[in-house]
Amino acid sequence: MGVALGLALVLASCGDAKSSGSGGSSGSKSEVIAIAADPPELINPLNDNGTAGIGVSMAIFAPLVTTDPETGKLQNVMADSVTPDKNSQTWTIKLKPGNTFQNGQPLTAKDYVDSWNMTAMGSNAWKNNGFFSKVDGYDALNPPTPDGATPKPTAVKTMSGLKQIDDLTFSVKLKVPFSQFGLTLQYLGLAPLPEEVRKNPDAYKRKPIGNGPYKLAADWNPGDDLKLAKWDGYKGALVPQADEITYRFIPNADTAYNEFLAGNLDFVDVPSTKVKSFKTDAPDQWVTSVSSGANYLVIPAWDARFKNPKLRHAISEAIDRKAFADLVGLSEPAKGLVAPDMAGYRDNACKYCDFDAGKAKQLLQEAGGFSGPLNINYSTTSATGQIFAEAIGNMLRQNLGLEVKYTGKQSSEITELANNHKLDGLRFSGWGHDYPSIEDYLTPMFKSNGDANFAMYTNPALDAVLAKGDAEPDPEKAIKLYQQAEDIALEDMPLIPLYTKSNAYLHSAKIEPRVSKYVGVSALWATFK
Amino acid sequence: MIRFVLRRAVAAVPIGVLVTLGVFALVFAMPGDPLRELAGDKPIPAAVLAAKRAQYHLDDPFIVQYLLSMKDILTGHFGTTFAGADIAAQLRLRIPVTLKLTLLANAVQWTLGLFFGIYAGFKRNGWIDRSLLLTTLVLLAVPGLVAYFAAQYLFGVELKWFPVSGVLEGFPRSYLLPALVIGVLGFAGLARLLRTSIVETVNADFVKTARAKGLGEQRVLWRHILPNALLPVVTFIGLDLAGMFGGAIITESIFNLPGLGQFMFQAIKLKEGGVVVLLSTLAFISFILINLLVDLLYGVLDPRVRNV
Repeated sequence: MGVALGLALVLASCGDAKSSGSGGSSGSKSEVIAIAADPPELINPLNDNGTAGIGVSMAIFAPLVTTDPETGKLQNVMADSVTPDKNSQTWTIKLKPGNTFQNGQPLTAKDYVDSWNMTAMGSNAWKNNGFFSKVDGYDALNPPTPDGATPKPTAVKTMSGLKQIDDLTFSVKLKVPFSQFGLTLQYLGLAPLPEEVRKNPDAYKRKPIGNGPYKLAADWNPGDDLKLAKWDGYKGALVPQADEITYRFIPNADTAYNEFLAGNLDFVDVPSTKVKSFKTDAPDQWVTSVSSGANYLVIPAWDARFKNPKLRHAISEAIDRKAFADLVGLSEPAKGLVAPDMAGYRDNACKYCDFDAGKAKQLLQEAGGFSGPLNINYSTTSATGQIFAEAIGNMLRQNLGLEVKYTGKQSSEITELANNHKLDGLRFSGWGHDYPSIEDYLTPMFKSNGDANFAMYTNPALDAVLAKGDAEPDPEKAIKLYQQAEDIALEDMPLIPLYTKSNAYLHSAKIEPRVSKYVGVSALWATFK
Repeated sequence: MIRFVLRRAVAAVPIGVLVTLGVFALVFAMPGDPLRELAGDKPIPAAVLAAKRAQYHLDDPFIVQYLLSMKDILTGHFGTTFAGADIAAQLRLRIPVTLKLTLLANAVQWTLGLFFGIYAGFKRNGWIDRSLLLTTLVLLAVPGLVAYFAAQYLFGVELKWFPVSGVLEGFPRSYLLPALVIGVLGFAGLARLLRTSIVETVNADFVKTARAKGLGEQRVLWRHILPNALLPVVTFIGLDLAGMFGGAIITESIFNLPGLGQFMFQAIKLKEGGVVVLLSTLAFISFILINLLVDLLYGVLDPRVRNV
């Protein structure tokens, strides 16, 4: 009987299919934005460095400063002024008066100082802890912990370099001069938390109290869409147009794409599987960004076989970047180590990036050839890893006559092997900046012990030029110094530039996403038609 | 009967230990550092890594990690996932989703399977029987992944008969399309099993005896043939149902249903041994329970095996 009932239920429910539009469009401006990721478990920008969590936080929290999407210049949001001393080591930040949190409390310098100290405390294990490692006194809050031990809260609770001066002013003293520090302040991972949240962050995991343009419109329980409504207490710059925003988390990117095609979403990322078809799937409803960072082939600095720079240049010259970029799709051949939308990008930076098989062979000969098969590692987690590896492998085989083999592994395993200097051969990597400065490409990837030094490369000369740039208060002169660092890195070539990729997005007819040459594509700041 | 149930329950304990230990070992043996997967785009400071390692006992030896996980499961202290989600809350959210999908999918599968199986069994070599054979062959050959996306695109995006994904429209609308696809792809095996079983039973001695006694055709059919022919089918259905409680990973992902399958997938991706073992234990318990139920039902249907 239960069986027959089941069928009846199925049939009856098929009848009343009704189209489900995206939210009520009764005059108010609302949009549904898809995020192709597992929903975050908490909203706390200080304890989140994932794309999904930070993306959502952008609506609820506001940064100190931001990049003007029109001009690319730094613009104040919560800050009234950000002033370095003459050697860029101590920075004084003055807040605009009159800003509050969404619970009505005024936003003060103390909120920043206390939130930052809390994040810098190693035993709290908050994800943006690392940002504060540049600040004087960070080490006292992060003593070395023996393997297997739980870091204990330290007796010292505050960084000596972080000082509140008055209600609206505080200063940050860095360990060493850093001219780009003002730019880093636009990272949303530095947002302030109000006192009641700081007292018990766990209680506010799913009900954030921010200082940004949107607040929670409804309870946010696990599995729910995140529904936000405009908060009229926001007095910062760049107020978005939407009255209501719904973030819907759809971990399967192809499913999210189908949801968009069915008309249930206003904004969605184009997944890598649809790069060739999105323009016909949604004509006139797509936009692309200039760039989403840069992509490289990593040559391990720990492997003596690759030591000769001429060999590295030979590999670089043997790669037909145009063909490779066409294979990747939505991509341009790389001409340097930084993304093309950065101030200080030069489209003639790389002298060894034009495809020239003859020159490649000659360089290989001068380098004394290469012994043994060349291994290319690719990530099995990525749908395209193997295809890209084989494309590069074929070019090296045909143009240099090298014997090439391939190894597929999970990306976390590749990273671990590389960190232990045990990875054999080449691998792929990519980098996108956290703040728009070419310094944020050069320091992480090429400075000795940089955060993202994929090749484990060190060159004291490059470190010295970077330090000079960091100490140079004049932005133009600083860029010149960083460009010198880029030149050194291109001569040594621990990373071979491959391509820069655009991202594509689909949007419904009622909105026009903000497209900026400097900060990419944003649905949050979309224009309503 | 109570002794039978007790005996089964006791026998389940060592099997449970073996299953959970095996699953935990498999997760443990997966390459890569779980916390690095979690880190996403950015490097994590050493202090943060150390704190997380200690919190999740990742520095302990394998067997200690396993015992700690089992202790948490048995005492009901599920804790949180690496990403910070309260596991008990996740289970409360996800078990109903998987249950609804499973039951609806099974309803579809059984309806189609029983109907076509019985019909084909009694009208052997008729056109329904022959087209059933062909259809089932085709269905068994279609990969699930292709069928799910194709159905989603055709019925969700183009025709708009069903929601494309998600559970926003509630039960049963949000579950209909995935359940229909699972059911249609799955009924073939059931139908073919039932058909064969009926064919065998129709020619059995006791059926001939019943006919010889002069019983009416309807009575022979419903009282003598069907109960006997259904016996292997009950076992099949039991196994199938229990298997689905583990969560349909691919279906739940494509139709964005926040059930146990998606949870399992996330946990495997992040190498969260504790969560994987918890979910395996849940699947194991439902497997044991359903099989127990099947065996008891067997006794009801077939007096010969009553109270084993």
